[in-house]
Amino acid sequence: MTAWFENWRIAVGSLRANWFRAALTALGIMIGVGSLVAVSAVSAGAQKEVADSIRRLGGNVIKVDGEFVTVGTQQSASDRTITPEDAVAIAGLPAVTGVAPHQSIESLSVSAGRYQTNTWLEGVTPAYSDVQNQGAQSGRLISDTDVRFGRNVMVLGLRPAEMLFPGRDPIGRFVRVGNHEFEVIGVQARRGRLADEDLDNRLFIPLPIMTRVLLGGGNTVHVDVRVESESEIEPTIDGITELLRTRHNLPDTYPDDFSAEDQASIVKEAQRATTTFRVLTFALGGIALLVGGIGIMNMMLVAVRERTREIGIRKSVGADPWTVQAQFLIEAIVLSFFGAVIGLIGGIAATRSIATLAGWETRIGAPSLVFAFFVALAVGLFFGYYPARRASRLDPLTALRYV
Amino acid sequence: MSEARDTAVIELTDVTKTYGSREVSVQALQGVSFAVGTGEFVAVMGPSGSGKTTLLGILGCLDRPSSGSYRLDGHETASLDETRRARLRRERIGFVFQAYNLLSRSTAFKNVELPLVYAGVSRAERRQRAEEALAEVGLAERTRHLPVQLSGGEQQRVAIARALVVRPSVLLADEPTGNLDSENAEDVLELLGRLHRRGATIVMVTHSDEVAEHASRIVKLADGRVVADERLREPLAVGAAV
Repeated sequence: MTAWFENWRIAVGSLRANWFRAALTALGIMIGVGSLVAVSAVSAGAQKEVADSIRRLGGNVIKVDGEFVTVGTQQSASDRTITPEDAVAIAGLPAVTGVAPHQSIESLSVSAGRYQTNTWLEGVTPAYSDVQNQGAQSGRLISDTDVRFGRNVMVLGLRPAEMLFPGRDPIGRFVRVGNHEFEVIGVQARRGRLADEDLDNRLFIPLPIMTRVLLGGGNTVHVDVRVESESEIEPTIDGITELLRTRHNLPDTYPDDFSAEDQASIVKEAQRATTTFRVLTFALGGIALLVGGIGIMNMMLVAVRERTREIGIRKSVGADPWTVQAQFLIEAIVLSFFGAVIGLIGGIAATRSIATLAGWETRIGAPSLVFAFFVALAVGLFFGYYPARRASRLDPLTALRYV
Repeated sequence: MSEARDTAVIELTDVTKTYGSREVSVQALQGVSFAVGTGEFVAVMGPSGSGKTTLLGILGCLDRPSSGSYRLDGHETASLDETRRARLRRERIGFVFQAYNLLSRSTAFKNVELPLVYAGVSRAERRQRAEEALAEVGLAERTRHLPVQLSGGEQQRVAIARALVVRPSVLLADEPTGNLDSENAEDVLELLGRLHRRGATIVMVTHSDEVAEHASRIVKLADGRVVADERLREPLAVGAAV
């Protein structure tokens, strides 16, 4: 007990005497712990964002897209292969609870008075708001009447609302798209991102205006289909595929002229792409810890050498090998303890800056802090063991003669 | 158990010590046998290379004999492991070195207290015993000084206090005056003499006849053997405390 206290005193005293060296040594541990904390916070934040955006977008949605198809030298005339009748037919499939055909122009310049912005125009029906879980922050969404009578009305996403009507209420004002003017009837509630698409940078107008007036023709590229439950997603995708192939009279040798995917899996897929990056950063944190550990070992070996004579004196007055070993182990652990504490603080600070600067969602969990902390202590213990063992095995007479 | 063993602090029988490998080996001790009784002040003399420092290392349990038997207070030590020998060192042996061997970053008090720390003695008792030991060597006023703030003679007296504080069975001194000028050397020898007269058992290695004069018995070594063992004066009565 007394010897333990003495060992703490020695460890702290010697670290203080060589504080600069100790600080440099602890740096590796700090960087390692800091990056582990930051990476797991970013990672947890990303997972939360996936869960949130799936919740916001609404689950159990299949996205059916018409596509360009090239077979040999023949190319289909249009990517708008999905007819209004196709949409009706899909609605007739079992387990389907909603069908929302929609059509978009993905990059388009629009203006309101002096303000202008580049955005994404989407032609929709009321079914879209139902299937996609779309809500109005103010005003109202596209209604059946708007669609039936082909009204020039528009719902703004949050971003264009900000860009076109900064500091003003957009409802009742007009937005110009080419030669057409649309009256703003509502603003869409926040939706977040789907993979790399910003779902808030959107304008919504009635679908017939989009297809007939702006683009010509009646077909659409996109149909969003909602099914009853998650387990119905796969069978319904198969059902839609079969249905559309039949309706489009595709010979067996032809590929599909459309695609059907689960929306939630698009979100997850997009996140998977960043997983590699996260694993890499995590590995770098681990390597920093490892290097930090080697730094500790190096410093402890130097300390054992420098203090060979001191070890000899302590042994000659009766310190047993275990006590000498404990003395150096404690020193290594105290070093990694301080490295870990500063690393934790640094990691939290880094996470905050990432959240602010990059705008990523982050989440610092207590378990990840505890994990990083104990990993650091374990590194100190592991890499301190060999030098401490070496000190404990020094022959006292040889050690006393060491100058 | 012979009669002599009851009062012998140290009993060496045919102790040898060989350094180095089988091919190139140095026999530092080639069968040393002698006993030291309680209250004796023995000077071990001999030219350099005669094995006297090796002998002291074995007596202090800092080293183990290659063969033979070494009994300290009747306990065989030759077969003990490092942990047990460390325990003997802190409970029964006080060591004084030529080079003082004080911890330079610790005060005189902390240095003297150190063996008691490793022996697990309570804080209050450590304090009392360390201060007593420092008073014993005449350094009651200098307990808060670091070794660099003390003269050579004072440092060696701190080292003696550190050896005394454990109330050892035997005080081992390796050329205790080797680094001191004659005035300080005289002080240290007087201190050892006083401890001896109060009953301490002391074994001191020296190459100087003048220093050896202070002892009650002189054992001479040459080439790792005892070549002479002469008694200068009768040892003091057995049983006197340090």
